[in-house]
Amino acid sequence: MTISNVSRRNFLKTAGLATGGLVISVALPMNALAEKGIIKDSGDELNAFIHLAENGDTIIYCGRCEMGQGISTALPSAVADEMEADWQRVTVKQGDADEKYGPQATGGSASIRVMYQPMREAGATAKAMLIAAAAKVWKTSAENCFAQAHFVINKTNQQKLAYGELASIAANMPVPEKPVLKKKSDFNYIGKELPRHDQAAVVVGKRIYGVDTKLPGLKYAAMIHCPVLGGALKSLDKTEALKMKGVIDVIEIPRFNIPFGSIGGVAVVADNSWTAQQAVKKLIIAWDLGENAIYDTKEYKQQLVKNVEKPATLAAERGDIEQAFGAAKHKMSATYTGGHLSHAPMEPNASVVWVQKDSCEVWASTQSPADIQKVLGQYLKREPKDIVVHVAMAGGAFGRKFKCDYVHEAAVLSEKTGVPIQLTWTREEDMRTGYYHSINAQHIEASMDEQGNVTGWLHRAAFPSISTLFDPSLVRTPANSLEDITNHLFGIENCRVESGDAKAHTRIGWYRAVYAIFYGFAFSTFADELAYKAGKDPLSFVNQLFDNNKNKEQQANVKRAKDILAIAADKSGWGNRKSLPKGQAIGLAVHYSFQSFVAMAVHVEVNGDDIKVLNVDCAIDCGQVLNLDGATAQMEGAVVMGMSLALSTEITFREGAVVNSNFHDYPVMRITDMPNVRVHIPDSDESPTGLGEPGVAPFAPALSNAVFAASGKRYRDLPFKPMSV
Amino acid sequence: MKQSMIINGKAHEITVDGDMPLLWFLRDNLEFTGTKFGCGSGLCGACTVHVDGQAIRSCITPVSTLVDKKITTIEGLSEKGDHPLQKAWLNNNVPQCGYCQAGQIMNAASLLAVNAAPTEAEIDTAMQGNICRCGTYQRIKKAIVEAADTLSKEV
Ligand code: FES
Ligand code: FES
Repeated sequence: MTISNVSRRNFLKTAGLATGGLVISVALPMNALAEKGIIKDSGDELNAFIHLAENGDTIIYCGRCEMGQGISTALPSAVADEMEADWQRVTVKQGDADEKYGPQATGGSASIRVMYQPMREAGATAKAMLIAAAAKVWKTSAENCFAQAHFVINKTNQQKLAYGELASIAANMPVPEKPVLKKKSDFNYIGKELPRHDQAAVVVGKRIYGVDTKLPGLKYAAMIHCPVLGGALKSLDKTEALKMKGVIDVIEIPRFNIPFGSIGGVAVVADNSWTAQQAVKKLIIAWDLGENAIYDTKEYKQQLVKNVEKPATLAAERGDIEQAFGAAKHKMSATYTGGHLSHAPMEPNASVVWVQKDSCEVWASTQSPADIQKVLGQYLKREPKDIVVHVAMAGGAFGRKFKCDYVHEAAVLSEKTGVPIQLTWTREEDMRTGYYHSINAQHIEASMDEQGNVTGWLHRAAFPSISTLFDPSLVRTPANSLEDITNHLFGIENCRVESGDAKAHTRIGWYRAVYAIFYGFAFSTFADELAYKAGKDPLSFVNQLFDNNKNKEQQANVKRAKDILAIAADKSGWGNRKSLPKGQAIGLAVHYSFQSFVAMAVHVEVNGDDIKVLNVDCAIDCGQVLNLDGATAQMEGAVVMGMSLALSTEITFREGAVVNSNFHDYPVMRITDMPNVRVHIPDSDESPTGLGEPGVAPFAPALSNAVFAASGKRYRDLPFKPMSV
Repeated sequence: MKQSMIINGKAHEITVDGDMPLLWFLRDNLEFTGTKFGCGSGLCGACTVHVDGQAIRSCITPVSTLVDKKITTIEGLSEKGDHPLQKAWLNNNVPQCGYCQAGQIMNAASLLAVNAAPTEAEIDTAMQGNICRCGTYQRIKKAIVEAADTLSKEV
């Protein structure tokens, strides 16, 4: 038995969501609702955020996808807080793909920004209904009752009623038009250090990831992809593979030419993954590589540099840079570059799909279940809503698992074999068949007056953009992808932004922090270079750059950026940096992205070519923090990812194909390089914003600035120390 | 002659080809999914288990080499999930996605078994084969030190 109410109309009104997707079912009596046709009577699987059973056990559903960022603790804890639920009584469950959870696509550090308010309202609604139920039992007013730790308490006589006892009565209470939210000072969980709900399962190996799905009759697949985008299979000899014991079939998967469809390849289905992987090695394949076989990242990067070091296509302009440059006291220019990156989450792409005559069921680590429904629906010629997607815990994702090509492939295999298929990509396939972070080049020219005010700023960027995934004919980055340059918080009166030619030869995709990686790098590194040119202290120079921003709409953000930078600098001992031992220095950077502000002070020791990062002081302003420990963890992780991409990771293409294959030639950071990371989070009443991505951006520029201060060597190319592969 | 190995205290007959790495025998045949696949080449440590108490990479260890050996996986590290490392992991909220953590814990357990009070440098050396792409290294170090501390008090 569950308590009931659907406040779809009410909720939409209060949440103001345009998608029409959110249904708060503050527990629904399924019979009644099924009668009214509001939901399908589906047993105990209530499609709701809150499910309160008569024994008080509470399930809170998380509609956003979990990949380690902690969202499935953060959002449910906001519900529990407003509901006055006892966290010990709460079980968090991951919601399957369903519109009723609102937008589930998890990216852009948007979950908390978008869902914080609706989740709180869901909790507050439940609380109001439970209080109303208790008031009814006691024949008193709701005002005379309050809720605390899974009980409603009568103010007059201190009588208590447990949430579980009230569940079914509350179900029939009216849904409050606008539930009252708690004051910050009354929060139990929001803003505190709440342990994640799934840690205990993780440490005993019981947390189930997409790759761990088991089903009766499950068969296992491995595959090899066409190495070049747009290529196709020319010939295939599968004789030897088919001879292997345990091999069931060899199946060709043609390219499905949509953004998130398979790039095409050949798969082996077998009794277990190992046999499938071995059989793939026995396939004799010839590919028709197509026109992208010319792609060579070394040459391409040089071409990008050329394209930004000459006039390019105008994207945006304000003021008059010609005049500014003409009147300049100092002029300076620099070019920055970066390579492709592979997300390389520790769990490679994997999913289980079972296509049957009238059903299709998916178990997958994913960031976007609705895209799986769309792509599989399109492929199978079925309605997206008929594709059932169970969202599994992802063993890391970083943007890669937003794209469901690996799920599409498992669907092809299941459709062709008629059995449930688990397709697990090998690490090599994961690295070679990606949606890579853009290779990029930026060229900046600036003019300064006598006082070191930046008067003009010319910024040319060239990188194959994510838009090419949707429109491969694009020859350069569209102007709207360059807005983060135009709208940067530095105060630059005369500014011109240009887009250099950069056609895509591989699939480009969102990678944790996306364009903020290279925008953050160019802006904060160049500002540091300008400071030296003007003979100023880098921190005061950057503050002056911010102070020169006269745009009224940006004043609040400018202040937040400055404040957060001040904290990072202060905590790092910036003021005393002159007394550091020889070879040591501190570098600063601040970057605003995904509506959060992150500043880093990186303290290094440089010895010849050797760079050792000793300390990182990381200060963040993401408004009201939901989970203090989760936010801290995100920053620690961002430093590690920032450090990998600043120092060592790069994907190289030759003859159209990725050369890297595994962690020996894609050297992500290891424990030996771990600096001491200190995270500083000032208290804030601003509305909360996300943290999954913004922490990555300021690390590389802060490191470049630190190394320069320590050694006089300026790194302008990411990664600083590429491995030759 | 039937061949077997002891996994978490129970004998399991080896029903697969001798070449198959232990990782896949565990995951696909016995459905012990706590041991993870990360690279398949001994480069990341996600697949770490113990053979006679010592950490090995199960992705490159053929089952034929493990006849009659005692294997411990993350599921069998402690009866109640209360190994000092597991407790320290919880206490420090180490995992993010958690995918690498079984391997991290198993590797650290093997370290502590031979070196009850490792220095920071010794922890680095022992743990450098275990990648955490989420970047939980700082907490891993802290948790290992804490667990070593607990262990030293137990003795
Ligand atoms: S999976 Fe065995 S070391 Fe990576
Ligand atoms: S916690 Fe995600 S890889 Fe380590």
